[in-house]
Amino acid sequence: MLMRVRTWLGQIGDDIRQSTDASLLSSLRFMGLLYGRIDRELPIDQALRKAWGRRLPSYVGWRHSFGGIAYLLFMVLVVTGVLLSFYYRPSVDEAYASLQYIATEVPFGWLIRDLHVWSANLIVLAILAHMARVFFTGAYRPPRETSWLVGVLLLFVVLAFGGTGYLLPWDQWAYWTSTEVMNVIGQTPIVGGAIVGLLTGDVFVSGATLSRFFALHVIVLPWAAFGLLVLHFVVVRKHGTAPPRGHVETQDAGTPYYPDHLLRMVIVSALVLAVSISLAALFPRAIGDPATPFEIPERLVSSWIVVDVSLGLIRTMGVWGFVGFSALGLLMVILPLVDRDTEKGLRRKPVVLGVGLLFFLGFLAFWAVGQQIDSVPPSAGIETRILEERAIPTPGASDVNAGGDAEARQEP
Amino acid sequence: MIKPASPFGFLLILACSFAGLSAARPAVAGTAAGTARIQDPASSAQRYGCLVCHADKRRAYQLGIHSDRGVQCHDCHGGNPTAFETPEAHGGDFKGSLGKLESLEVCSSCHTDPNQMRQYGLPADQIAELRTSRHGQLLLVEGNLDAPTCSDCHDPHTTLRPDDARSGVYPTNISATCARCHDDESLMAPYGIPTGQVAEHRHSAHGIALYEDQNFAAPTCIGCHGSHAALPPNVGEISNVCGRCHVNVRRAFDLGPHGQLEGGEAPLGCTDCHSNHDTERVATERIAQTCEGCHEAGGAETTLGAEVEQVLRRAESEMESAAEAVEELVRRGHEVSDERFRFRAALSEFRNLEMLQHTLDLQQMMDVERLIASASMDIRGKAEVSAEEKWEHKLFLIPIWFFALGIVFLAGYRLRRLRSETPDVEGTAGNGP
Repeated sequence: MLMRVRTWLGQIGDDIRQSTDASLLSSLRFMGLLYGRIDRELPIDQALRKAWGRRLPSYVGWRHSFGGIAYLLFMVLVVTGVLLSFYYRPSVDEAYASLQYIATEVPFGWLIRDLHVWSANLIVLAILAHMARVFFTGAYRPPRETSWLVGVLLLFVVLAFGGTGYLLPWDQWAYWTSTEVMNVIGQTPIVGGAIVGLLTGDVFVSGATLSRFFALHVIVLPWAAFGLLVLHFVVVRKHGTAPPRGHVETQDAGTPYYPDHLLRMVIVSALVLAVSISLAALFPRAIGDPATPFEIPERLVSSWIVVDVSLGLIRTMGVWGFVGFSALGLLMVILPLVDRDTEKGLRRKPVVLGVGLLFFLGFLAFWAVGQQIDSVPPSAGIETRILEERAIPTPGASDVNAGGDAEARQEP
Repeated sequence: MIKPASPFGFLLILACSFAGLSAARPAVAGTAAGTARIQDPASSAQRYGCLVCHADKRRAYQLGIHSDRGVQCHDCHGGNPTAFETPEAHGGDFKGSLGKLESLEVCSSCHTDPNQMRQYGLPADQIAELRTSRHGQLLLVEGNLDAPTCSDCHDPHTTLRPDDARSGVYPTNISATCARCHDDESLMAPYGIPTGQVAEHRHSAHGIALYEDQNFAAPTCIGCHGSHAALPPNVGEISNVCGRCHVNVRRAFDLGPHGQLEGGEAPLGCTDCHSNHDTERVATERIAQTCEGCHEAGGAETTLGAEVEQVLRRAESEMESAAEAVEELVRRGHEVSDERFRFRAALSEFRNLEMLQHTLDLQQMMDVERLIASASMDIRGKAEVSAEEKWEHKLFLIPIWFFALGIVFLAGYRLRRLRSETPDVEGTAGNGP
């Protein structure tokens, strides 16, 4: 018995001695988590070493970080989303109250919620920056067209994540913005009505819509994103990063992922996380009044970059502007089918270059325009029009309530 | 009446009733008979002679309430509806187009009969009221045909109930009906009556409440002047007229020095400060200025007015701060039912204060002001705690950035060392920062 104990202790001693080497999983082994058959028979450590030791071409630099940033923000969204789902309740009666609870009662709930909101904004910018880098270097052309296609689909999935998540706070701003977007989608020829019918599950945005959006947000879309991400990584790994135009193949072995690129990603990740947390702390998403279909809010407050862009499009170019820009986004998907010539630079492809510039610069321009618009639901204009038709002066034009004090004393 | 002497007799009566032959059927002048007559072919041109020539009136008539009640052309205009030739149709008691007095006479033939009006819940004293009105005096005593008769306000053919939104006497339409005459300068000039009251009313607090908020409790012309008994209120009646709705304000006014005045020194009442047709709420910052309309500037009365203004301003400021605090708490995600309850309590006290200003009792007003300030302070207290939490969230950024910049520094240092160790590798990259 004593001998057995002695042998056992000896094995542990050997393992601890082994764990003091420079193994990647030494810390896990030290804690006994990889002790025994797993450690001996599965070459986890070896696989990791191989992956980390993979060498990337020497032209891969800081500007290739946007994809990694998007992935990092996606993981932040997953983690904060899971934490939020611990407390969030997707029903008409409880959604708003659970949001209040998260924002004020849950320890660091405010941080988790606003980090989720800001990450949802930053990931769109990161993906667009990543996409722009790929586009302007012509990296979407064969043989990397699948990678481009999957990447654009990932963008759509992220937009769908944001669109479905936008309603979940169930406050007036979320409710009426979703209503407005549904109205616009409903005007899309042929398919608009069917899409809106499927999404809302009712004749207007209601509890049925909230349930559907929540199910899409936490069940359907995560699986779609996971599948597309795996496919994206596999394809990128297979074809590698596209060389810059005019790059001459050399015997250069490139730089290893570890530690060179990993250190680069650590720096970028630390900065992105710090910026995200700062935005969450400094500019928390305000909460509107509880959602009600019977009262139109005086104004809508946008908290997602895509809503700003949509607003800019709808207000300046009408519904068809929104539909047209969405069609432009779809055109980006089939870009590799149109432009397959790997020899010519984008300057010699003015149409393709124009489409790309229109998409990326248009996004930024309408984002800027959308932020300047004090959004009011279109339905709110109905009452004003009725009053105008009756030629009855609005309170602002009259001196009846001079000083506006009567309005100030309305119940908040 | 037939009494059923046997079961056979009863069955006979029943059969006759179904066949419309019952001798026991009473004469009904009400809805049932009227409806029956509308459905009867007699209403068509084939049976009802008036429609042969006056088909244009038929549609208008059918939209009105009298059509439902069985009143027909000849009931008002006389004549013979069974005739199809003009001389015969327009013979007998034919009245033709009714004049103002004839119209009054025709309407009163039914509308002064309580037995007929009771079933519709209508009063039967409109004509009696009209006699007491200025309109009635002009028309009936002086024979002045400028004055309106029934059909001037109530469309004679498409006569509608007052609660029908198409009616000319519906709350939102009635001022336009009055304006048909009272906005006519040439018509009003001989009587020294100014015009433009309707436009003033539309701009007034009452008009805004009625037309914009669709608050039908707000008065139209008839709310103050009466309808059939329309007359401008006498000077001494004004506070009574306003007090019908503004009950508490009137009570406070009567308790105050203005309400205690009598005889020649008594002011006009509410309209002195609030005007009549363009009724407005006197803005808080104009209270003292309004006092100077009657009282000497710098005198004891205007000083009291200025103090009243100050109390109200402070209370308003407290209410605004409380409202902003509640709004801010909502935006930060706080559950605010308790704060909203406190705000409602404060708002109730503020309304009380607004009413109390008419007593000019400064001490009582300041007591209420303290209650408002107390409620406001409670609400703002919670908002301040929330603001402190928000500040703590910002402090949280210090360790975050310290940690992040530490990582950046260490990783950057390591990266730089790597580059210095392998200068050739980075040198060939050409795409570094």
